[in-house]
Amino acid sequence: MANIVAMILAGGRVDDLGVLTFFRPKSGLPFGGLYRIIDFPMSNLINSGIEKVGILSQYRPFRLIRHIASGEPWDLTGRNRCAIILPPFKGRGESDWYKGTADAVYQNIDFLRLHRPDLVLILSGDHIYRMDYRHLIRFHMDKKADLTIACAKVDQEGSSRFGLARIDDEEPRGGKVIQYVEKPRESKLEWASLTIYVFKTDLLIDALNANASKNSHEFGKDIIPTFLANKKVYAYKHYGYWGYTRTPDEYWQANMDLLGAAPKVNLKEYRLRTNMAHREIRDRAPAFIGFSGKVEDSLFYSGCRVEGTAIRSILFPGVRIEKNATVTDSILFFDAIVREGSVVYRTIADADTNLGSGAEVGDPRGELSIIGRATRIPPGIKIEGGVSVFPNLNEESFRESVYKKGDIVE
Amino acid sequence: MISAIAMLLAGGVGSRLNVLVKHRAKPAVPFAGIYRIIDFTLSNIANSGINRVAVLTQYKPLSLMDHIGDGSSWDLSGRSRGVKILPPKTGEKEWDWYSGTADAVRQNLSFLTSSDKEMVLVLSGDHVYYMDYRPMMEFHRDNKAHVTIGIIPVPWEDTPQFGTAILDEKQRIVEWEEKSPRAQSNLASMGIYIFDIDYLVSTLTITREADFGHHIIPKALEEARVYGYLFDGYWRDAGTIQAYWDANMDLLNPDSEIKPEIWRTMTNLNNVGLPHDRPPTRVVKGGKIVRSIVSPGCEIGGLVINSILSPGVIVKRNAVIEDSVIMHDAVIGDSSVLKLCIIDKNVVVGTEAGIGLGDVERDNIRFPQHLSSGISIVGKDAAIPDGVIIGTNCIVYPEMKEESFVKLRYLCGETIGPEEGEDE
Repeated sequence: MANIVAMILAGGRVDDLGVLTFFRPKSGLPFGGLYRIIDFPMSNLINSGIEKVGILSQYRPFRLIRHIASGEPWDLTGRNRCAIILPPFKGRGESDWYKGTADAVYQNIDFLRLHRPDLVLILSGDHIYRMDYRHLIRFHMDKKADLTIACAKVDQEGSSRFGLARIDDEEPRGGKVIQYVEKPRESKLEWASLTIYVFKTDLLIDALNANASKNSHEFGKDIIPTFLANKKVYAYKHYGYWGYTRTPDEYWQANMDLLGAAPKVNLKEYRLRTNMAHREIRDRAPAFIGFSGKVEDSLFYSGCRVEGTAIRSILFPGVRIEKNATVTDSILFFDAIVREGSVVYRTIADADTNLGSGAEVGDPRGELSIIGRATRIPPGIKIEGGVSVFPNLNEESFRESVYKKGDIVE
Repeated sequence: MISAIAMLLAGGVGSRLNVLVKHRAKPAVPFAGIYRIIDFTLSNIANSGINRVAVLTQYKPLSLMDHIGDGSSWDLSGRSRGVKILPPKTGEKEWDWYSGTADAVRQNLSFLTSSDKEMVLVLSGDHVYYMDYRPMMEFHRDNKAHVTIGIIPVPWEDTPQFGTAILDEKQRIVEWEEKSPRAQSNLASMGIYIFDIDYLVSTLTITREADFGHHIIPKALEEARVYGYLFDGYWRDAGTIQAYWDANMDLLNPDSEIKPEIWRTMTNLNNVGLPHDRPPTRVVKGGKIVRSIVSPGCEIGGLVINSILSPGVIVKRNAVIEDSVIMHDAVIGDSSVLKLCIIDKNVVVGTEAGIGLGDVERDNIRFPQHLSSGISIVGKDAAIPDGVIIGTNCIVYPEMKEESFVKLRYLCGETIGPEEGEDE
């Protein structure tokens, strides 16, 4: 196989996810009862035998740095392996926060020059999918392409958020890109870019150098069109699951896709790795389901204690559900506690939250409610669906006894 | 801060654990879902600030060595920290098998002589307990002791299994009885010794005696200062099938003192060589868990009551598991029923099979001293065919496959395995 370096775009904050990304980039968002979203591309990489990875991060990178650590959880340490966080830095005269995805890679051209790969694989750090990148690279080489973009079929609804391609109908694996439009307001095109690109290294470097003097520095908007003009650009079709988790609803749905007897995402088959030292996951005792406990159609991990009921929910390590409390259709991050008698529906509760006894949170059928990290919900209050609660609030911050759809508690 | 090193005697055969120790030494037997018995002692060592440990192995050491790895799971790797595994090695004789606990230490005397520490903890890897050794180390130093022995009160009827001590008012040991049928004291040795390094080195150099309890301690009582350090926390020698099952079940009792997470017990989660991490456990529709400990990576489609599940266990639809301990990656087939069982790793139970069913009518015929209370045990990698029903007090040997099962119904006390005398 060709010498390949991967660069993961892991910096984004994503406004739509609101309080969930106050303290972390989206790629560091917990997912699936154990993982961070970036574990998906990281595990895909190591499972594809790609062992040199640069992670481009600028928004609140501390937790991401802790999570990636030395790269050891992914076996990315050793003489020829590495996983390195590449934060923005101040150069001589250029004080330089990343100005876009392409700029982030441009500012780290040294990383590419150091490793001198034949191909550069650019990935987004915030999608849920499984891909053996070797198949993508094989396709890229078979086609003698200059750039290959992995694409998946999407519904018309919401497709305006993607780069969309028309693909020449060559073979099941994909074909030449005939047309590409970045985030069009309306389009009949149905193949969306997954922000997974394979570039020939020297052509990428040339394009980044040329782009540096422009005002806009995005792969989708700026780099791909220049390649389309005079280079061989192919699209590789991804037929498997692809979770685009940019809104709370999508994020919630992708989590729910892990449940059931034949889940859409079978985590065992994904062969994921995560950092078991982050939040001391590995030192937690196995989960305890008590005499009054009931867990139905759910995921849980070590450190959980369930004395109440969990239905169709995802429980991260250390979650506690006390007696007579019921949690349904919800996602509870690390060490969230649901106190006695609390009733929780369709809620995402961030790490270290505490839902006071007898509190009612969420709506069985309505919009999701989101509780920010380490916030303590007072006993007995009611928070309906569609409410967003800021992180680090204590009980005194809640002046009302009922919060309604659209309320933001800060 | 007192400086000490530790030697962990992990050679125990633990033969009363029967098929559970066919492929591994007792300290390597899985316990409490994700742990192995040795994790408790290793974690105690690390949590007591001791950075250098030798693990003396002998009997079937492979799974133990895999488990310990480079010691990093217990934060025992680095410039000034380390776990050394010391198997018996060729000495002057062609092969010097350890002939006893003291002999094992003697054959690795250089671990002691090359150390600049003042004391050595000699520990057993056989017990489930939490102990900060530092107060005992201070006690040892304050008394200017040559030897300090960890002591715990045990029920009088258990004293014949232990070394027992009579202490004076200053906790100096004045009399020692090794496994006496009529002990005068119920203060038993926990198999935890602290030695002054110089004293231990000179004693082991002068004598050729093989065993601490039988030889070295009685000798020390005559010539040196030997103290007993009293301990009164949770401490179990999970050395019999019944004791092993009981200690596992203690985890389900909120009043029990056993609390691995609060004890900061550490383990090596990578010891089965999986290239990825175990995913969260998934309970599917129809699955139900009551009063149980469930490790990651399980898939639960049946009913689990009062049981302890290790990582990766698959419980299919309509299966029932009750009062049982199920180890890594066992698969329990559709509509099978398991009661009062210990199921070793990778066991596959077919559909509509049963284990531990029926009344307790007699002890296990082949090993009456190992199995009498009704518990049935299934060895590693065995496969129970569809529809086979196995009674109480039964043993299934490791790796038994379809052709080893000659009938559909095994009664209380039967053993499915090689003919007597053929095994080993």
